[in-house]
Amino acid sequence: MPSMRGGTIYVEGRSGLHKLHPLTKLALSGLCFACAAALPGLPWLLGMFVLVLMPLAIWGRITRAFLKACLLVVGPFLLSLAIIQGFFHGGDTVLFQLGRFTYTLEGLMAGLLFAARLLVALGGTLLLMQSTDQAQLMQALTERGFPARIAYVVLTAIQIFPSFQDRAQVIMDAQQARGLELQTGALNRARLLLPMVGPLILGSVMDVSERAMALEARGFSSPAQKTSLHSLADSASQRTLRWLLVAAALGLLAWRVGSALA
Amino acid sequence: MNLRVENVSFRYPSGVLALDGVNAEIASGEVVGILGENGAGKTTLVKLFNGLLRPSQGKVWIGDWDTADHSTAALAARVGFLFQNPDDQLFERTVAREVAYGPRNQGASEAQVKRRVAQALKLVGLQAQADSHPYDLPQPQRKLLALAATIAMQTPILVLDEPTIGQDEVGRTTIGHIVNSLHQMGRTLIIITHDVDFCAQHAQRILVMLQGKVHVDGAASEVLIQTKILDEAEVAPPQLVRLAQALKMPAAPLNVEDFVDEYKQWRKKRKK
Repeated sequence: MPSMRGGTIYVEGRSGLHKLHPLTKLALSGLCFACAAALPGLPWLLGMFVLVLMPLAIWGRITRAFLKACLLVVGPFLLSLAIIQGFFHGGDTVLFQLGRFTYTLEGLMAGLLFAARLLVALGGTLLLMQSTDQAQLMQALTERGFPARIAYVVLTAIQIFPSFQDRAQVIMDAQQARGLELQTGALNRARLLLPMVGPLILGSVMDVSERAMALEARGFSSPAQKTSLHSLADSASQRTLRWLLVAAALGLLAWRVGSALA
Repeated sequence: MNLRVENVSFRYPSGVLALDGVNAEIASGEVVGILGENGAGKTTLVKLFNGLLRPSQGKVWIGDWDTADHSTAALAARVGFLFQNPDDQLFERTVAREVAYGPRNQGASEAQVKRRVAQALKLVGLQAQADSHPYDLPQPQRKLLALAATIAMQTPILVLDEPTIGQDEVGRTTIGHIVNSLHQMGRTLIIITHDVDFCAQHAQRILVMLQGKVHVDGAASEVLIQTKILDEAEVAPPQLVRLAQALKMPAAPLNVEDFVDEYKQWRKKRKK
């Protein structure tokens, strides 16, 4: 039974996906971004999700966590994009009318397309994050000569969302305890924005600053060759696969740019 | 306003049973210290008081309100809550606006808000910083600001979660004075802390939690000298109690003045 480690969205496991070298999954994540940007239509994007990302999630035994995370992140976007694009994108096929605003099929499809691009881009990143221990990812990056500082920035960016979530809950509790009503209406939810975002951003900035100092105090920038406690399994086939994934991503982007210019 | 906890249990979604059949009643105007090791259930218990958590079983009454029937925002009119980390709540541009936020949420008039802000800032000694940005204050003063923001809501019950954490001796003394002032105003104060000496100085009653249950509940002067019971709950007795016991004094007063008197009398008797 896979378990989720507190503070991150990594789901512990011993599946084939978990055992892949972190850089292979990073390259896959890059390909997903390229696909999200370059694939021409909804069928292609949904095909990528259903035929590539879903089987990988099943292989990694993280299907439920993967789908839940996709739904949680893309769901709200899908809803707002479908509403906004449906009413304001324009088009000839009117589905229904609300006052003087018309909701069009073309707008709905544009909203769905945008959400599908988000789903594919996010899907690759989620597969990486949910099947890779972040310490291993950092190790893999620095072993390839990636500057430790940049590796740290990348990981902090990955880790920030779960810690944001935890902190947001505490802040929400604190503001509710000061009389801020959450349960009713859009107006109250809008009122929550500043009291939530202010402490969230400022607190996170202070956390980052303190974390940087704590790392420095333990020799983070030391020029000495770092000793690694664990070695990451890699193979010639995985190295080849990585190059293929990178080439496919670059090829897709080049094709997209070329077809846009043509 | 009385607070009553009736046979309350609470289980987190992870399955951890944090509270197990807790019963307690806190009378209006009492100052109660809640002690216990990490994970004993202290914070879980007080989060039930303002509806941040809802009991899995049992009832919590705030006056005549069953917390199950009221939102946290509504309960905020009766129970004020000082969180451990002040930075989890500060967001306004000035100290005065930050303190005014709670009273405004309560619908207080502008005149009432101004009066409450002035009173709260005076009580915590931050009048001079009223126009400063909250994040220009050092962390201990931000804690005082968060306390002022809680005080300004004028709730009959105040929960202070680790009020002395991160404070130097001056800050600790200031918070002690504030607690005494609030007590004199008739507010009920519930203090969760690991600072046993602070409790010894300011709490009338002590509730020691152990593994989600009330291990012992009684007057501070009686509970804090029971070294064995405190040991069971991983709570170190106050320093004066330890000193009195090390000296084999017959009594163990909880404040310095009483300790000195007791010590002098004890010395006299010993010389005779």
